Amino acid sequence: MKNDTLHVMLVYTKTIMKAWFQYRSDALLSSLTVFLREATGIIVIYLTLLKFGTMGGWNIYELLFLFSLLFLTYGIMIIFFTGLRDFGKTVRDGGFDRFILRPRGLLFQVIFTNADWFAAVGHGGLGIVLFVITANRVGIEWNLVNILYYIFTVIGGVLIQGAVFLLFAALNIYLLETNSLKELFYWNMRKFAGYPISIFHKVIQIVMIYVVPFAFVNYFPAQFLLRKPDMAQYPAVYMYITPVVGITMYMLAYGFWKYSLRFYKSSGN
Amino acid sequence: MFITPYFAFARKSFLGRSAYRFDHFMSILNTCLQIFIFWGIYTALYAGRSEVDGITMTMVATSFTLSMGLKAVFYVDDYLLPSKIWDGSIANEFLRPVSFRGRMLAENLGNAAFNVVFHFLPALVISVVVIGIHPPESMAMLVLFVLSAALGYGVLWGLSFMVQAAAFWTFKIWSLATLKDVFINVLSGAMIPLWFMPEWIYEALKLTPFPYIYFTPVQIYLGQLSYQEVWKRCGVQLFWILLIYFLGSVFWKRGQKKLVVQGG
Repeated sequence: MKNDTLHVMLVYTKTIMKAWFQYRSDALLSSLTVFLREATGIIVIYLTLLKFGTMGGWNIYELLFLFSLLFLTYGIMIIFFTGLRDFGKTVRDGGFDRFILRPRGLLFQVIFTNADWFAAVGHGGLGIVLFVITANRVGIEWNLVNILYYIFTVIGGVLIQGAVFLLFAALNIYLLETNSLKELFYWNMRKFAGYPISIFHKVIQIVMIYVVPFAFVNYFPAQFLLRKPDMAQYPAVYMYITPVVGITMYMLAYGFWKYSLRFYKSSGN
Repeated sequence: MFITPYFAFARKSFLGRSAYRFDHFMSILNTCLQIFIFWGIYTALYAGRSEVDGITMTMVATSFTLSMGLKAVFYVDDYLLPSKIWDGSIANEFLRPVSFRGRMLAENLGNAAFNVVFHFLPALVISVVVIGIHPPESMAMLVLFVLSAALGYGVLWGLSFMVQAAAFWTFKIWSLATLKDVFINVLSGAMIPLWFMPEWIYEALKLTPFPYIYFTPVQIYLGQLSYQEVWKRCGVQLFWILLIYFLGSVFWKRGQKKLVVQGG
């Protein structure tokens, strides 16, 4: 760690913020658009639940609480990991070669030289709105234990999704193009990761727990706080290990990234 | 012949799509996944009930299979015209002896034909085999379903064209197109069958073009509408197509006058 690391980080962050918010009205409109686009799913669920009452034993507030964790963690995650989300492009147009020439860590540069603030505001904003609506309506007592649990859960959820992005970024070094894979394993999964996984086919549940472990981002943590009966079919320990899953996944992904860098060949530009 | 070049455009875009095999494999896989997901969600919602408000699970499955299939067919690239306006290549299009708007439509139709064969039909087969959906009410209703779906496509394409033509004035097409999709997804029956909408919302929606994109064809397929009602709905679809086409034309004409292409 060089002693000016913090300074470099701040300068990067300030510059990026300036770039993203240079055009105020456009920044506002774009953030609002992301917010509304993501809220579409929520509106549909709300309208459906007006008719049906519950979904797999979950009422509307419990469902929205479940969704809020997903949006909140994504909103925070994307501030740090936008560079990894768009890493394929960085490799293809040769931007990564420039990073290599600079006297700072590669991952450090990838992480701190971009942040999709519109996505952060849109997703994170929706997460906060949903949390505020539901926090006091789902019977959670917000004592110290639960608050601490919630904070660690959010950190764990951010790391899990960050690890997935890091893994795909590392794969990019070999494949150059990973969009279809990411579409299938991340973005598609995310579309329904907000629902209680117990309502889905066993195969999908297994994928959500052991392959792309979205279940640890919101389902199992929400179960710790809500204790719905459908938790009985999973090991109880799953409710406690989100931060462990997050840290382990991130370490593994980081190891793979470090290993893969040795094989980096410029795409030529 | 007047129509020949447009047919060639359609054919070309159909063939062009055939090149990306891996992508099609992925998107068929995606469609299967989505059908499974919807099935899971609605099984949980129905929770063993055989019907809700007279709507059975099979009707819901039919509705989301058809809507999802049509959605794949109706795909329109909202950035086709904007990108040509932004990089100035639109100027060349005006010099050609074919209407650029006609060409956009023809290419999109070629695309749609491709999607019918390679996305809609596989999705339909999977749904029939795995979850079992309703057969069409009758042969006549099946024909009317196809007619009404084609009109629904007209409404959707017109809306997209209007958004694209806004690129003559603004750069914020991404926001406009996304918002358009938000409205269409929620209000057209693509994500929630409109039977389950609160009554007053559904009544209000009937005054907008949205339910005529996906939901009307689905209702016809299921035989929920009398012949008289079917013709009436198709008439309304036609009305929206003409109105939206007219507005699009105004945008298109005004935009051309306003257009300034720098350099060349």
